[in-house]
Amino acid sequence: MSLIDTSMMQRLSHFLDATAARGGVIASNIANIDTPGYHARDVDFRSQLATMMNDNEENTPAAPRIVEVAGLTERPDGNNVNMDREGLALAQAQLQFQTGVAFMKAEIHRLTQAIHEGGQQ
Amino acid sequence: MNLFGVMGISASGLNAERTRAEVVAGNMANAESTRTAEGGPYQRKEVVLQSQGPSSFRMQLANSTGNQSGGLAGGVQVRSIVSDTASPIMRYEPTHPDADANGFVAYPNINPVLEMTDLMGAARAYQMNASAVQAAKAMIQQSIELLK
Repeated sequence: MSLIDTSMMQRLSHFLDATAARGGVIASNIANIDTPGYHARDVDFRSQLATMMNDNEENTPAAPRIVEVAGLTERPDGNNVNMDREGLALAQAQLQFQTGVAFMKAEIHRLTQAIHEGGQQ
Repeated sequence: MNLFGVMGISASGLNAERTRAEVVAGNMANAESTRTAEGGPYQRKEVVLQSQGPSSFRMQLANSTGNQSGGLAGGVQVRSIVSDTASPIMRYEPTHPDADANGFVAYPNINPVLEMTDLMGAARAYQMNASAVQAAKAMIQQSIELLK
């Protein structure tokens, strides 16, 4: 951890990574909405975020743990992707990403302010 | 996975659904075609979609060593376009040039209701993939905002 690369920044970048990974999995579900036998997947977001938050000092982003979503109704062709669920999850991932970016912006702003404090604005 | 990878997945979905819509359009356009290059009436075509498996070596390895991560998220691809083997519809039209000895003409076995529902499904899925592209685009743009 340094002056610029704060722990807040590291955690936020992990959060953004996890959210982007989730967006990818959801996009994959949507792309496979008509593939026979395909089962909807999702990132185990909570546990992934927990592991990412715990190994803060070491910069080793864990590979996303992708699990099959339980409790979805299967269509006759063996596919269980639910359009509403995926749409909602995509909106959620997008908003989470937006939140992360907003926090990161605030952090950068804070740092810039600290840098400019001594000199002229 | 980076955000451009998300767009690639959605692009594969867009591509697959467009192919599906194209095939349906071809089926409907050829609903009355009694002659084809292969001979006989037109045979209804159908798209077979397949999910793209984990592509990277690391993920393949993780899967083969029993790491229950479920694999990396992949897109979709058109595996093949197959012909429906249903027998043609025989219509009695003795004056038709393609009529057989008994005066029956073989017409393609195409059900317009089936084709229309398939087309609607393809259009909806295309829309869904397009909104996924929009979402990925918005996320990329937000990341670029960080530089300002």
